Amino acid sequence: MEPEGIALPMTAYPRENSGEVAAFERIMSQCERRVLRVALRLLNNPQDAQDATQEVFLRLYRHLGNLDEARGYEPWLYRVTVNVCRDIARARRRSVGLMEVPEPAAPQPDACHDAERAQQREIVRRGLSRLGEKERAALVLRDVEGLSTREVAGILGSSENTVRSQISTARLKLRDFTGRLVRRRS
Amino acid sequence: MSCSKLETDIALYAGGDLPPGRVPRVEAHLGKCADCRALAEELRAEQALLSELRDEPLEDAMVAQVRQRVLAEARRAGFTPRGALAPLLALAAALVLAVVLAWPRHRSGAAPRAAAASHAAQAGAGRGPAAAYGAAPLARKSRHHVRRAPTAQPGPPLLVQFVTDDPNIVIYWLVDQKPQGD
Repeated sequence: MEPEGIALPMTAYPRENSGEVAAFERIMSQCERRVLRVALRLLNNPQDAQDATQEVFLRLYRHLGNLDEARGYEPWLYRVTVNVCRDIARARRRSVGLMEVPEPAAPQPDACHDAERAQQREIVRRGLSRLGEKERAALVLRDVEGLSTREVAGILGSSENTVRSQISTARLKLRDFTGRLVRRRS
Repeated sequence: MSCSKLETDIALYAGGDLPPGRVPRVEAHLGKCADCRALAEELRAEQALLSELRDEPLEDAMVAQVRQRVLAEARRAGFTPRGALAPLLALAAALVLAVVLAWPRHRSGAAPRAAAASHAAQAGAGRGPAAAYGAAPLARKSRHHVRRAPTAQPGPPLLVQFVTDDPNIVIYWLVDQKPQGD
């Protein structure tokens, strides 16, 4: 996983255990954007995604001493992200009933992306938000994050066959959704 | 085999997830079915869009906001990575034990309180910060708080409670008093 963030100031931490603080700093710098991105895709709501990311890194900070660095932090982070997002999504469903997930904000294509491609991504994003919880998690980890089926199975605590079933179903549902939407617009 | 029965395999094939043993059958079908070839192409295009979502930039302000919240919350809660407190708690337990052992005269009167303090410290050392948080109610605001032990026998020991910078660590010390009337 390549660094995607900015180095954190050491003085910002309340503890003085420099080794663990340094490890936390490094992991957060490397992974904060990835965790936030996955949370955004799973929750489809920036505020909820920020809440989820905050909870993920606070859990990381609390459990840092128990994690095995040799095994890598990414699988742990992905697993916790999926679990935290699931909890937040369920709490949100409880608090707002069975309201439909709000539409994501319209994309803001920068000068480098053409509007049509951005529109297609927006359709896919909407389609993702309509998938079931498990199918969406499997598809986000496999097709958005680019993890292998085995890695996704490990993160979700499922078998590879289950993950294959989830992603094939999710891909077909997404294709149906995008096809319907494109046909309706045209 | 009908197209509908092969749809799920085509969805896996398009993403490179189909087990090798099932690939030949799908490829043979795609070779003679234009509709399924179109489906496979649509699925590949959809995957390309999904992978582009990974590269969409996140607003720096959004990332920075999360980071500030994480740091503020960590600072507020005084979180300690698990395992970091164990040596300190073990030291506190050893101190309490040493005081208790070096107190032969008043051990009978002081034992319950000392034992309770020792137990709290050892339990904290054994179970990590969660246990230490559980012992936190023993802590007091003052940094050096002295209170008289309730025993009414001559020369009751004083229970001295040292509160460290870490709210999870409290050190108890039993101090001998001059016998009353001296």
